Amino acid sequence: MSNVLTYEHAVEVRELVKRFGAFTAVDRLDFTVKRGEIFGFLGPNGAGKSTTIRMLCGLLLPTAGRGTVAGLDIIRESERIKTRIGYMSQKFSLYEDLTVEENIAFYGGIYGVSDARLAERKAWILEMANLADRRHSLTGELAVGWKQRLALGCAMVHEPEILFLDEPTGGVDPISRRNFWDLIFTVAGAGVTVMVTTHYMDEAEHCDRLAMIYGGKLIALGSPAELKAQYADAGQLLEIEADPLMRALDVLAEAVHDVAVFGTTLHAVVHAARGEAMVRTTLERAGVAVRRVEPIAPSLEDVFVRLIEQADRQREEAG
Amino acid sequence: MLQRIIMIIWKEFVQISRDPRMLGVVIVLPIFMLLLYGYAINLDVKHVRLAVYDQDGSQASRELVGAFTRSQYFDMAVQAWDERAVTQALDAGKARVALIIPATYSADLARGRRATVQVLVDGSDSTTASTAIGYLAGIVQSQNLQVSLQTLERAGQPVEHRARFWYNPELRSTNFIIPGLIAVILMMLAALLTSVTVVRERERGTIESLVVSPVMPFELMLGKLIPYVIIAFFDVLLVLTVGVFVFHIPFVGSVLLVLALSTLFVAAALGIGLLVSTVAPNQQVAMLTAVMATQLPTVLLSGFIFPISSMPHAIQLFTNIIPAAHFIRILRGIVLKGNGLAELWAPSLFLLVLGMVMLAASSARFKKTL
Amino acid sequence: MNWRRIGKLMKKELLQTLRDRRLLGVLFLAPVFQLFLFGYAVSTDVNHVATAVYDADRTAASRQLVERFMRSGYFDYRAALDHPAQIDHLLNTGKVQMVLHIPRGFANDLQRGRTAQVQSIMDGTDSTTAGIAAGYVEGVVRAYAAGISVERLVRARGVVSSVPGIDARLRVWYNPELKSVQFMVPGVLCMILLIITMMMTALAIVKEKEIGTLEQLIVTPITATELMLGKTLPFLLIGLVDLAAVLLVAAHVFHVAVAGSVLLLFAISILFLMTTLGLGIFISTISKTQHEATLTSFFFFLPFILLSGFMFPVENMPRVVQWITYAIPLRYFLEVIRGIFLKGNDLSVLWPHVLVLAAFGITIISVSAWRFQKRVG
Repeated sequence: MSNVLTYEHAVEVRELVKRFGAFTAVDRLDFTVKRGEIFGFLGPNGAGKSTTIRMLCGLLLPTAGRGTVAGLDIIRESERIKTRIGYMSQKFSLYEDLTVEENIAFYGGIYGVSDARLAERKAWILEMANLADRRHSLTGELAVGWKQRLALGCAMVHEPEILFLDEPTGGVDPISRRNFWDLIFTVAGAGVTVMVTTHYMDEAEHCDRLAMIYGGKLIALGSPAELKAQYADAGQLLEIEADPLMRALDVLAEAVHDVAVFGTTLHAVVHAARGEAMVRTTLERAGVAVRRVEPIAPSLEDVFVRLIEQADRQREEAG
Repeated sequence: MLQRIIMIIWKEFVQISRDPRMLGVVIVLPIFMLLLYGYAINLDVKHVRLAVYDQDGSQASRELVGAFTRSQYFDMAVQAWDERAVTQALDAGKARVALIIPATYSADLARGRRATVQVLVDGSDSTTASTAIGYLAGIVQSQNLQVSLQTLERAGQPVEHRARFWYNPELRSTNFIIPGLIAVILMMLAALLTSVTVVRERERGTIESLVVSPVMPFELMLGKLIPYVIIAFFDVLLVLTVGVFVFHIPFVGSVLLVLALSTLFVAAALGIGLLVSTVAPNQQVAMLTAVMATQLPTVLLSGFIFPISSMPHAIQLFTNIIPAAHFIRILRGIVLKGNGLAELWAPSLFLLVLGMVMLAASSARFKKTL
Repeated sequence: MNWRRIGKLMKKELLQTLRDRRLLGVLFLAPVFQLFLFGYAVSTDVNHVATAVYDADRTAASRQLVERFMRSGYFDYRAALDHPAQIDHLLNTGKVQMVLHIPRGFANDLQRGRTAQVQSIMDGTDSTTAGIAAGYVEGVVRAYAAGISVERLVRARGVVSSVPGIDARLRVWYNPELKSVQFMVPGVLCMILLIITMMMTALAIVKEKEIGTLEQLIVTPITATELMLGKTLPFLLIGLVDLAAVLLVAAHVFHVAVAGSVLLLFAISILFLMTTLGLGIFISTISKTQHEATLTSFFFFLPFILLSGFMFPVENMPRVVQWITYAIPLRYFLEVIRGIFLKGNDLSVLWPHVLVLAAFGITIISVSAWRFQKRVG
């Protein structure tokens, strides 16, 4: 326990690789998570987010590379890591045929929490998750939002220093998601480092720093503001409403730096200040009806979509 | 409607073909059981281990021992020299039967008296024991006859008995077992495969997407049943082919009739499986109930091995609701006796009724659980 | 090793089992149900052979022979035939299993000192019953014949002082009434222990895999050994409770009491359970879903039941198959349990079997523990 105070980074990963047969799920990943921050792990399904978290928690052995969690080596010291971390996955791994209290007591016992401490923790969890009235209900009878908060409570019954949340809000309604993030802020405010994976952009905005990951590779790293600023350097973002939309997409793909579909609109990146006029004329010349062209501030989604397209282009050029 | 049923059938088949263990159950299990029952399991009691304590050691006593060991029923396993050795041999299971010939044996015979030998039988396996007792009674009796013959020779042999065995003249137990095995295998398949199918879909939540689709409950049931009927046909033919060509079962009846009546049986068996499936809350319970409700009665109470006529009356009546009991009668009737519907209408009717009741019950339960 | 963690895991497992009413019912009623089934229903005794008689002779002698048959207790009189064509129909429909045919001239032959003929026609479909029944017929006929022989001798010589012969004085040990329940109770015990420990353990672990709680447990500091013990000990406990239940029912309903030491019985059962629990864990490591686990356990279950001597004696099997049975732990346990139950054997007789069981248990549990690692992949 000598390193409780000595470790610098909550998580540090160097050249981390995980292969399943011929498939490379995680490809030479490098990043660090600072103590006490909310670190977001953003990427589409199958990008390698869960695989990375599972290696950090000792569920999977890395194929190559190294890493530390709380200053402990993830390969040699995975069992010691486990006493220091909490883990919660999308499945909310609770026993549906046990009551709320029994689930807490069970995980408390497994983590070796003493009986006196367990009573305190139980009270804290029931209060935090707002489950005090339902403490004797079977977990299977709870609504999804409640289960999610109970799962978080169970993952924190032993007061971990670092919390790994693997898509914790999957299948949960927006209000419960909002409440859940309030809980995460509370937890982080108390000094717990949180590493969370998600594919919801609004959630990513809440993180102190973000790692964007695609095809097992890190494609961007920084705070949400930094990432958007990088994007702004590339040019002005325009939101375009046009009809027919798909024809407009084809036309603009030839003319501008970057264009993508966003719901019923297109987002395009132009270099010059006159870009707005250029887009109008290009579209009208091609016989597309332009309803609206407007400069907007980039969202994380813009950043993300553009980075992915860049990565795809690079991959095509390479192979 | 037909299209919907076909889609479900197609889905079941794809799932089965992608599941190597399922394929194992469909193809390997029947062959495995066939070989096991055909080669390994022999109901004929032979080579019973015999311990002999011959206190007499005379020509006559050796003749008696020889009569035992020359028969294929007894193998000389232990030659004992005192009572303790006999006890030990039985205790340790080295011998099942012990023959003790007293020192006065030959002298008694020579004087024209009745000599007494002692036979100890290990009764812990009651079946083997009672069969062995039958054999040894026979051997002693024929030895008896030989001994008395000198005295009785002028009397001649007054009555001669000849037994004739129809349908299975050599009394081969494979002829008896393999037709019944079809029922056991089909029941096992049906129970194993269907009992978990509904529960599994419920646990995975896929049943909900089926329920919100326009599929009717009976269409779903049919779609789930038909693939197994086809698999069942395949297994019936597999067992019969191996039975005829490898184990030389005399097949005298109609293959078509076997297949046709198999459909009735499979419907009843799957009905039970589905009923278990709709009643059970999870796979653990489904599996255990399926084993208890189908496997044991099918093996024990159907007449597959243990004759129904030897059971207590109440249980004989109870066997009427066991589909396998009727189907095994049908199978043996067709395969060994060449029976047609004229002889088999009663068990066929029973099967039909049982099948309809089971399917109706599971269909009704199914609607309720949704 | 942290026993508190193991205790928590066991408590959770038992809570889940106790809360599942239907599972509970199956776990505790099934053994008793099986016992009744095996105890009452299953019997290979042949004593009600459905018999039709075609007496073509119709004399006092032939009627006497028929009466001898019916008095023997093995045959049930079902029909008297007056035409041989009826034989075919009766056997074909399975209404009778045997037809006793006494040809015309039977009494006449006897009177003239010739050899009279009797014929039995059996339905050979059930080869076992037919074989045993034929033996009974032979016995009845011989006994009848012996009587006639003595009569003839008396007629020829006047008096017969004594005829030499052999009497076999039969004593059946361990199970004097040859009740099949005696034979079956130990077998039922084995089956129950096998089902509950092997299948239930495998399913319980795989179920946690399916719902994701196993992964949750793996990221806790619990060690693989603790996890294994916590998951298996509850089923060991349930298995032992079932064992006690079966022993009680056997003693009070079927009046079959353990002849040897009950303590030894429990001790060796625990040894056997190491094997079955180990197999359960092994199955769980090679199965991803409960469905797979069920199918896989059947592949273990069937050879165990069929080749252990549970229903079919090992010594009747071909030599090669007998060798295979040495690889089946249940075979040794069955020997032990029957030895203690029926013969009152103690360790001085049973030690070789116990040794083999221990070897199996330790090997299987080690292999399973080695395979059961705390990583997903």
